[in-house]
Amino acid sequence: MTPLSERQWRFLLSLGQRLVPPLKDLDEEGLARFRTIIAAALAERPAAVQRQIRLFLALLRLAPLLRWAATFDRLSAPCQDRFLRWLQDDAPGRLRQGLWGVKTMVFMGYYGQAELAPQLGYTPCRTGNEMLHG
Amino acid sequence: MGERSFDIVIIGSGAGGGAVAKELAPLCRDGVRIAVLEWGPKLAEHEYTGRELEMAGKLYVDSGGVFTRQRTMTLAFGRAYGGSTVVYTGTSLMIPERPVRRWGVPGLEWSDLRRRSLKYLRENNVHLLEEERLNDNNRLFFQACTKLGLRVEQFPVNLKGCQGSGMCNLGCPNAAKQGTHRVQLPAAEAAGVEVITNCKVQRIEGRGLLRAVVEKRPYGLPSLWEPGEYLIRARVVVVAGGAVQSPALLLRSGFGRHLPALGRYFTAHPALILVGEHPRPITNFYGHPKSFYCDHFADRGFLLETCMYFPFVTAKNLIGFGEEHAQLMHRMDRLQMILVLALDPALPENRVVLDRDGEPVVEYTFSEPVLDALLESMKVSARIFFAAGCERVHAPAGEKFFIERTEQDRLDQLITRRRLQPGRISVASAHLMGGCRMGAGPTDSVTDCWGQVHGVPWLFVADSSLFPNCAEINPYVTIMAFADRVAEAVRSRWREV
Repeated sequence: MTPLSERQWRFLLSLGQRLVPPLKDLDEEGLARFRTIIAAALAERPAAVQRQIRLFLALLRLAPLLRWAATFDRLSAPCQDRFLRWLQDDAPGRLRQGLWGVKTMVFMGYYGQAELAPQLGYTPCRTGNEMLHG
Repeated sequence: MGERSFDIVIIGSGAGGGAVAKELAPLCRDGVRIAVLEWGPKLAEHEYTGRELEMAGKLYVDSGGVFTRQRTMTLAFGRAYGGSTVVYTGTSLMIPERPVRRWGVPGLEWSDLRRRSLKYLRENNVHLLEEERLNDNNRLFFQACTKLGLRVEQFPVNLKGCQGSGMCNLGCPNAAKQGTHRVQLPAAEAAGVEVITNCKVQRIEGRGLLRAVVEKRPYGLPSLWEPGEYLIRARVVVVAGGAVQSPALLLRSGFGRHLPALGRYFTAHPALILVGEHPRPITNFYGHPKSFYCDHFADRGFLLETCMYFPFVTAKNLIGFGEEHAQLMHRMDRLQMILVLALDPALPENRVVLDRDGEPVVEYTFSEPVLDALLESMKVSARIFFAAGCERVHAPAGEKFFIERTEQDRLDQLITRRRLQPGRISVASAHLMGGCRMGAGPTDSVTDCWGQVHGVPWLFVADSSLFPNCAEINPYVTIMAFADRVAEAVRSRWREV
């Protein structure tokens, strides 16, 4: 069973694009890897943790209603960023930690793709010493 | 259920378990049956791919991201044939006299630890890397510290044939790092010790009676034993599962009833990964990642070390998100990195406990002095980055994502305590210590100075959980020295048990 519903995946992707803007430039293969990595990481977690993540995603989507009368996915990009920044810097501990968890998941799905490493300027090799002095 | 019987069973094969196994292995010549039960797999050489997520999943518990109960720190510890010695950088420091004197454990002398440490430094081919093997990330740190008048030293490392893959923390793909998986365990096996991988000890049922389960994994070499449940009898048990798993096993097995300190006094050297950006590419992921450390601020509660991490680990350790975060992440070849280690005190409330399923949970609260040290370390590191030539610096407790070179005179205003909220910044730890601390008696410690559990003559502990307080340095050589003492005690006492 996939740990997130289709709707949750779509939301995670739109949220992810605020957290990691280059995510929107990924091709289909890259997006599939993004999803596979996150699904695998979630699948390894206990059911209770998976539930917490689903709940937190729902909260992230709905919480902006209180201030902007719109769900997260209907906010403008600057408002989305402002909301995320509030969560990161000023929200109560649990919410802050929740964002940290979701952010980490998105980072894992994107930066964990070995195929993207050259775009990051990261090109390690087994014989790195040979590259040290030009 | 399978049944097995041994004279001595060692649980865990890292720095502690591996060292005990090798030291006791000569007993096999006299017919003594010794087994090492290791939870993790033994990977085939071709399985060391250097791919970040893949190797983290295979070699670390929870991919290196075990949360504390407060969810304010992640803990990284290995699970493999060789334990965490497979995934550290190989830095091999001997403990200085000061912390050992501070511990004040009766019968534990620095001179004894020094003698034993020296043995392992020789055994593990510990040496200083030649200057031409140092990359820019390391050289620039050394030069900047020197320029600023800070004490800086080169790390001795336990390498043989290092090719500078920079992937030490993912398991060396060139088999260069001389962890217990390369040195002590093969020697022990050659002498007759059985090492059973993929074997998790669930509980110590009673006197020398272990309940364990062998799992089948889709990777690694097959275990010597078929998958299934086992009951294992042993005259002597040496627990060496590390500072989380060892206290947890003893708690699950009921030893907490007469040992109130069990699981407590956990310390971790809470760590920050800090980055500075150079205006042009430097060599950072080529070459050995960790060559220097600065202990200039040890009295102020922190150490600084060079380091170089992989994309995902780097990304999650930066605070923030969005364009600035992505911009920095797309310049991995320009990043200089510093690892901060806070020297945290062993407090009874920081501890390993069990959840409802009997699995370990670490409860850890940052003390004010630790938070002060982390804050100061960011400012010092920023000064080092700028002295090294960085054009901008990212500090997790920064008022803004980047601190520019032109702002370096305003670090006190730009790196602030109000931004240093646990749970906001990423704090990680790979130096887990305590939980079965050595000491004089059972009221505030778990074992004596030889690692024997108080009041239980057949049960020993031989790993990082023995630390009475934090090591104040990278702990693995000291763990081996502790284990050497434990092996000596087992050798002299096991027949009487």
